[in-house]
Amino acid sequence: MNRKWEIIKDWSIAIGSLVGSFLLSLFLQYQYQTDALIPVVFVLGAFLTSVLTHGYVYGVSTALFGVLAVNFAFTFPYFHLNFMIPENLISTVIMVIVSLVTCGLTAKLKQQEAARANGEKERMRANLLRAVSHDLRTPLTTICGSSSALLENYDAFTREQRETMLRGIQTDAQWLNRMVENLLSITRIGSGDVKITKEETALDELADSVLMTFSTRYPHVKVTLDIPEEVLIIPMDAMLIQQVLINLLENAVQHAEGMTKLSLRVIAMGNRAVFEIRDNGKGIDEDMIKSIFSGRYTPDAAILDSSKSNCGIGLSLCATIVKAHGGTIQAKNIKGGGALFRFTLDMPEEEDE
Amino acid sequence: MNNNKYKLLLIEDEENIHNFVTALLEANGYQVIGARTCAEGTMLFSSHCPDLVILDLGLPDGDGMEFLREIRRGSVVPVIVLSARTNEADKVQALDLGANDYVTKPFGSAELLARVRSAMRNFRYSVHSGAGGNRYESQGLVIDYDARRVFCQGTEIKFTQIEYNILAFLSAHPGKVMTYAAIIKAIWGYNDLGSRKKLQVNMANIRKKLGAKPGEISHIVNELGVGYRMLRSDEE
Repeated sequence: MNRKWEIIKDWSIAIGSLVGSFLLSLFLQYQYQTDALIPVVFVLGAFLTSVLTHGYVYGVSTALFGVLAVNFAFTFPYFHLNFMIPENLISTVIMVIVSLVTCGLTAKLKQQEAARANGEKERMRANLLRAVSHDLRTPLTTICGSSSALLENYDAFTREQRETMLRGIQTDAQWLNRMVENLLSITRIGSGDVKITKEETALDELADSVLMTFSTRYPHVKVTLDIPEEVLIIPMDAMLIQQVLINLLENAVQHAEGMTKLSLRVIAMGNRAVFEIRDNGKGIDEDMIKSIFSGRYTPDAAILDSSKSNCGIGLSLCATIVKAHGGTIQAKNIKGGGALFRFTLDMPEEEDE
Repeated sequence: MNNNKYKLLLIEDEENIHNFVTALLEANGYQVIGARTCAEGTMLFSSHCPDLVILDLGLPDGDGMEFLREIRRGSVVPVIVLSARTNEADKVQALDLGANDYVTKPFGSAELLARVRSAMRNFRYSVHSGAGGNRYESQGLVIDYDARRVFCQGTEIKFTQIEYNILAFLSAHPGKVMTYAAIIKAIWGYNDLGSRKKLQVNMANIRKKLGAKPGEISHIVNELGVGYRMLRSDEE
């Protein structure tokens, strides 16, 4: 479907530029009583077509048709095709060369862009692998270490020490679980061809599920919920969006130092649902905001508390999921302190029942 | 030599999970019979007549679903399925085939125990007091089936006919997860494209009338993407 659209668009540009050149030439001919500008206008038309379209066909066609138009309508003998005059032949050749070269340049430029995007993707994947391997090894170290220590020296530890180690094993296992969930979602959505199945989901049910799950993991963190009175049914992959919301809430708990208030607010704006997660912590580092959703792994994170490094993957997953739904996501600092994460989901207009 | 313990049949092929679940259940006063394949499970089921079955959906020799279908042909024994998180479809299918509840892997001991207790209690309740008695009473919610009236903490609440039917249906299967499809079929008889949305809107209105807020424990638990369940009085 994309290809068809592209072809239609490109032909429209080609035809449009020819028509435009023609009209402009007529105008110039009338206004300035000279023919000298006309070939230049058609060259411009051919050039623009070459820049704005894909491949060589459109540019060269525009050039050739342009030449015919100039020959026919704007050179002596007027309204007759005459190929015997050498100037005509030379201008034809020049226009075709201009088109070919421009098309070539444009194609090369597009290739470079694609290569750069690919390189970027590769770099992100390498970063992701590095982050994941670090983030998986850390809790595994605790689990391996604590459990073997308990098995070998059970009696040497006090009851308190044993409980602490066992609790550590439990928390790390739970954390590993979350990480695996995130990774599974990433692979489910995959690279490029995004296929998610949207089902109609009631907003208050989604919120209920999110809050229940969140309070099991963080029983001491209170989340204020603000959703519309009326029933909102939004098409979405409920499991994935639930993950987005939990990741965002968790992100606030892990990184918003000094946070005392955490809220989730959903507003219906026409045919979109806007989700906002606000905290009153220390806010996001200004230089991190731009790349916060790109999953960039900073080597410094290795030195910091390992629980912080889950941030990169969690947020980049949120962005991927939201984009796969056709929505938008953004992060910014609130005036007066704290951070705001906002994403939108399409919500088709309700028909009145 | 009947020591009066409930007998549970566990069908799970993963050795570690099998061990952990068996140890956990035995430590909590249940007797556990273990099978590692569907075939073994079927054999043990017919020879031991357990009080509850814990069935892993990912068994090597095929289909937990087949096993479920088979035993449901002749038995109403409570069945709890163990499922992997990303497989919503399996969960829903198992529930539609007659499973009572599900536990998602990985699960903690408290979660599994709670589900087992709940399934046993509800089974006893429906068998001994005759499902569909005149009244349903739980946590301050009273449904008078004869008069078709609903009271919450003593105050009567007015529901539409459809809303009442849904409440009555859920309360007839207390503690059991009823899938969207099951509810839709019971209430409307047919299931088309708009049914799910209709159900969700009705459920939202019911919740509002009962004063339930998202994130707070209420009479009706919503299992996102799967269905709904009405809690019994002594449940978490």
